[in-house]
Amino acid sequence: MHLMKTKAVLAACGLALSMAACGNAGGGGTGKDLAGKDVSCGDFTGRVAEICKAGKVTIGVKFDQPGLGFKSATADEPAGFDVEVAKILAADLGIDSKDVKWVETISDNREPFLEAGKVDLVLASYSITPERRKVVGQAGPYMVTGQQLLVPADSTVKDISDLKGKEVCSVTGSTSIDKINEKGAKGVGFESYSECVQKVLDGTVEAMSTDGTILAGFAAQNEGQLKVVGDPFSEERIGVGYSKKAPEMCTFITDSLKKAFDDGTWAKAFEDTLGPSGVKTPDAPMLDACQS
Amino acid sequence: MTAISSQAPTAAQGEPLVVLDHVEKWYGDLHVLQDINLSIKRGEVVVVIGPSGSGKSTLCRTINRLETIGSGTITLDGQALPQEGKALAGLRAEVGMVFQSFNLFAHKTILENVMLGPVKVRKSSKADAEKRATELLDRVGLAKHAPKYPSQLSGGQQQRVAIARALAMEPKVMLFDEPTSALDPEMIKEVLDVMVDLAKQGMTMVVVTHEMGFARTAADRVVFMADGQIVEEGTPEEFFTHAKSERARDFLGHILKH
Amino acid sequence: MDFLTNGHNAYLESFFYTLMLFLVSGVLSLVLGTILVACRVGPVAVLRVAGGWYVTIVRSTPLVVVFALFQFAAPMLGIRFGWVQIHIGTVDFTSFFAVAVVALTLYTSTFVCEALRSGINSVPLGQAEAARAIGLTFGGTMSQVILPQAFRASVPPLASVLIALIKNTSVAYIFGVGEAVAQMRIMTNNYASERVPIFLTFAAGYIVIVFVVSFFANHLEKHWRTA
Repeated sequence: MHLMKTKAVLAACGLALSMAACGNAGGGGTGKDLAGKDVSCGDFTGRVAEICKAGKVTIGVKFDQPGLGFKSATADEPAGFDVEVAKILAADLGIDSKDVKWVETISDNREPFLEAGKVDLVLASYSITPERRKVVGQAGPYMVTGQQLLVPADSTVKDISDLKGKEVCSVTGSTSIDKINEKGAKGVGFESYSECVQKVLDGTVEAMSTDGTILAGFAAQNEGQLKVVGDPFSEERIGVGYSKKAPEMCTFITDSLKKAFDDGTWAKAFEDTLGPSGVKTPDAPMLDACQS
Repeated sequence: MTAISSQAPTAAQGEPLVVLDHVEKWYGDLHVLQDINLSIKRGEVVVVIGPSGSGKSTLCRTINRLETIGSGTITLDGQALPQEGKALAGLRAEVGMVFQSFNLFAHKTILENVMLGPVKVRKSSKADAEKRATELLDRVGLAKHAPKYPSQLSGGQQQRVAIARALAMEPKVMLFDEPTSALDPEMIKEVLDVMVDLAKQGMTMVVVTHEMGFARTAADRVVFMADGQIVEEGTPEEFFTHAKSERARDFLGHILKH
Repeated sequence: MDFLTNGHNAYLESFFYTLMLFLVSGVLSLVLGTILVACRVGPVAVLRVAGGWYVTIVRSTPLVVVFALFQFAAPMLGIRFGWVQIHIGTVDFTSFFAVAVVALTLYTSTFVCEALRSGINSVPLGQAEAARAIGLTFGGTMSQVILPQAFRASVPPLASVLIALIKNTSVAYIFGVGEAVAQMRIMTNNYASERVPIFLTFAAGYIVIVFVVSFFANHLEKHWRTA
């Protein structure tokens, strides 16, 4: 019993170390600094103007999703597509990316953080839903993705329909779990995607499922062991969250995204972050109009 | 009180049943039993007296190995006491013990207290054990208390139940470790009466007590202990009238004065 | 309250899961805890020491770490629970449930052991001596005399241990088990505007279960006090 325990502890440590080490490989590296543009804060109103004048902005991103928002144990700043888009928004407020304060947000605290003013913006693979729009503002989308499957490289699973009645891993409480259940598989929830990856690797579950962009990152980290399969079976419209107390944010975000779509900075950000995982840069999505 | 049945004195009466040979015991530096040699014959009633701390309770408890000994041997019916485990449990079943503080099983009724040993150790049927237990409780005058719990009985009643519980195992020898010391004076007699009766029936008994009256009437032999040693032994008559040792005379002088 | 009109089945199902986790690991914890305490107070020195170490180590490990060991490290050592496949209606009990039961049982049994040990210490030494004096072996002394009394004395601390277990089942929510808190997270994610009522509704579910357990404990305590 004793010996077994010791071994198990060592194994767990090994697991933690290897995950941390792998983190750098597929994390898209640390992004480059983006200098603030020369803007006149007088052109903005309300909270947008305040942030512009203060020259500081607090942005919530994920720290655990390679390719989107990921901060490895050794990095000072998070990196990924969400982070790059956030830097573009900050630059349009005249703020250098080194003056952005990055706060980790998880699926469950995005609305509370916005409502309490702990963050000004949220770019944390934040799906736009009517239910969420009751509580917070959501502008965008700046990316449209769909839920796919990550399976072992030698798996015969081609589609979610091959997994009826089988257990499929995702993050506890996420929309992905609901979708898995809707499609007739059984969603099992863990705290983070990297734990689901572990469960797929050790064979406890046959597959995990979430946004294809996230899965591509993990497939790149575990090349030869894992692969992404199936057509997207859901549509997630990823947007920018802001507080309902500052509706003027919407116009600013939408304008800023539109510019980035048009001048190629959006596509460049995508190529730099998600490109290395083998995701092709898609067409820019249609932006929702701001309700006034 | 009706007579208490016990094993009828056998043909072997008079031969040694319990033999302690050069028994020594220490508690750390304290030499609590010093070279104890004592032979108790079948059917004999031995009363052990002595000042507190003399080792008389310890001596009594070594006979069923509730206390281990440092060196020497103790034999029961010719067999050395087993070290531990099933064999020791088997030996203890042959030796009845009555404690100063009764130690009835608090969560069991009076009847269940008396039945437990026969059912769990002797593997008697429930029906037989209950019949026998009811008889024994009747003989100690407590049959109508059978469904009660120990806490509902007086000390004297509890001690009589404890005697019935020990007798239910049909022991070869009964050990009494100060059976009346925790009792109110008015209850002492009811317990001593049961013990006297038992002695008359020919039960082999080792009794540690301060009740000199009991020693005079029921004992075949009195053993006087002090400082872990057997200082002297003899018939009650000899001991109480012509004690040989200074210490025994001193001890008797003290208790008889009060 | 959209979450309740749309999700009352999911709510009840998730609490059924919580209840099953509690009942299965509760019974196993009581059994294992009793065995552990027998080791700890028993006559075999090796078992006494082993029992003591087991309690000390497992009790001082955070429950979430015990879960993680069995969920992530155990499969690397070939310890898997894939053979567990029980389905009741739409509720599945698979390897994730089994791991949760194992983790909860190993963890809770140490607290059961210590609650019982305090109960055993409250049984006067004379009870054991009297039991041995009528010829009961160690096992008989424990099962017939000491443990029944120790259980009675242990009812209040055991009730606390079991109530803690009810709430500890929620740790399973991030280890693949669709129990109440996992369902709560799904609902707070889907009904962002109803977070507070969702929290309160799920808290109420736990309170009801704890009330039932407390009621039984109080009842037992009263029943045995008169005996």
